[in-house]
Amino acid sequence: MSDNKKWYTLDLGLNKKEETSGSCGCGKSQGSCNSHKEEEKEEEISHEEFYEAAINASIGEERSKDGFEQVFDVKMDRRTAFKKLTASLLIGAGAISSCTSVVNADSKEKAQIDWEEQFKGNYKLMIDEEKQGTVDRLMRSYELRTGKNISMTSENAEEDVLFGYAFNISKCQGYMNCVSACVEENNQDRNSEMQYIRIHEMKDGEGFKFDKADDNYYHEVPKEDHFYMGTQCFHCDNPPCVEVCPVQATWKEDDGLVVIDYDWCVGCRYCMAACPYDGRRFNWSKPEVPENEINKNQHYLGNRMRKKGVMEKCTFCVQRTRKGKNPACVEACPTGARIFGNLLDPNSTIRWVLENKKVFRLKEDLGTDPKFWYFMD
Amino acid sequence: MFSCKEEGEYHSITDKIEAEQKPYHGKLTSEELLADTQLIKITEGEHIFLIPERKGQIKSFACIECHSKPLAQMRGLDGKKAHWDIKLNHANSETMNCATCHNPDDMNNLKTLTGQNVDLNLSYKVCAQCHSSQFEDWKGGAHGKKVAGWTPPRASMTCVNCHNPHSPSFETRWPVQFNTQKAIERKDDLDH
Repeated sequence: MSDNKKWYTLDLGLNKKEETSGSCGCGKSQGSCNSHKEEEKEEEISHEEFYEAAINASIGEERSKDGFEQVFDVKMDRRTAFKKLTASLLIGAGAISSCTSVVNADSKEKAQIDWEEQFKGNYKLMIDEEKQGTVDRLMRSYELRTGKNISMTSENAEEDVLFGYAFNISKCQGYMNCVSACVEENNQDRNSEMQYIRIHEMKDGEGFKFDKADDNYYHEVPKEDHFYMGTQCFHCDNPPCVEVCPVQATWKEDDGLVVIDYDWCVGCRYCMAACPYDGRRFNWSKPEVPENEINKNQHYLGNRMRKKGVMEKCTFCVQRTRKGKNPACVEACPTGARIFGNLLDPNSTIRWVLENKKVFRLKEDLGTDPKFWYFMD
Repeated sequence: MFSCKEEGEYHSITDKIEAEQKPYHGKLTSEELLADTQLIKITEGEHIFLIPERKGQIKSFACIECHSKPLAQMRGLDGKKAHWDIKLNHANSETMNCATCHNPDDMNNLKTLTGQNVDLNLSYKVCAQCHSSQFEDWKGGAHGKKVAGWTPPRASMTCVNCHNPHSPSFETRWPVQFNTQKAIERKDDLDH
């Protein structure tokens, strides 16, 4: 592990244990085993010490000190403080069982990962190795917790790429194949039935009246005298959601995608209020997806599993589009109403649409500059 | 003073596109995604792109394996009717019948309105005779779907990949999704 990390690295002796495993077969605590070098002793916490600290940190002090004292009457150096904090973290994570003093390697590794994840920086500021590091930790953590593997990547924006989208309102028939493809692709919470895409059923001749439109119809479609208009995150070039975020957990990438670091988001929902297009969603509860339905091809900024209390939204399927594929909604649309591509490439089909069809955007007067255009045949 | 954007290099996205545009030859490509699809390259005006090969997908091709005689001689004969399940639901019978698109004298090919042969792989040429505005949009990429990703090379579905040529319009059906949670929220008036 490199030394120039932006967070404190917890050393539980894991790395050393790997080096010395085999050479020490005593299986007991390292303190009582003499096969270890003297200087290592100083660096590591033995199992006894560890257990002692864990007990101490959890209930030990309650016997002698009240709550206030427990918090403020602390006389210890930095190292001890970290040891104790770690121990209590482990107890909190259920890593220590009460009937045994053996802290197994998996729990230690889990704790190590949790620690580093807890104190990692904002993804936006990470260098590529740090991005790879967090992605590796998240994959390993998933493996440790579920015994299953996921593939997670952290591709950066490609050069000379700016993503744009066009939606043909004369083609959409309201079948909603895009919605279900999106839910499956992006691991959206099945309990709250979160959906990034809304398909608004609008009456012909009345203009775009979103308050009168129905986005949860259930009858044969297309309905007579109605047309269908899809909305999702428009990946504005001047995104108000990014402006209002107090912790910079959401930002615009170089390829134009407006993304969220789910681990940096504090869940204040300012962005949700700032978005004029109802593009953002909030996890009121822990998102749940049945294990066999989880899409395991994930991107850090895309469809990886979210947690309770964070924002999420359409990412133009960053996990697909940065590999050259189309977003899941584009691929699933049976009518060809959805056009996606590179706005900077004059030979792309999205550019042909913008230059040859009569296009418009929603609420253009707000100056948000969405990269999502509507057009008609 | 106000500025429209924080990092205000460009006033709008269109300015940015104009200033920074260049044909994409980056490392992302659709080659791999297209590897499993048989494609043919077509050139229509200024547009050059790939479309899926068709003849290999038609189970009963080549047609002349059965249509060994001109259609006029086969008509009315006793025996199995191979295409009993095809009902033409395309324009009306005054405008179109089988022979509007199929060449009765050369069953392996389609034909134009003036009787020239069109290869089944290039069936879009037959459609384009009447559906000229759709043809324009399709060539540009505003009508129809891509075969794989957004990256070059461009491969687009051709007309018959989405439309059944014998019954080309899309049918009404039920949406694949209904949000029960949203319905509950609405019922309880919790929705905004």
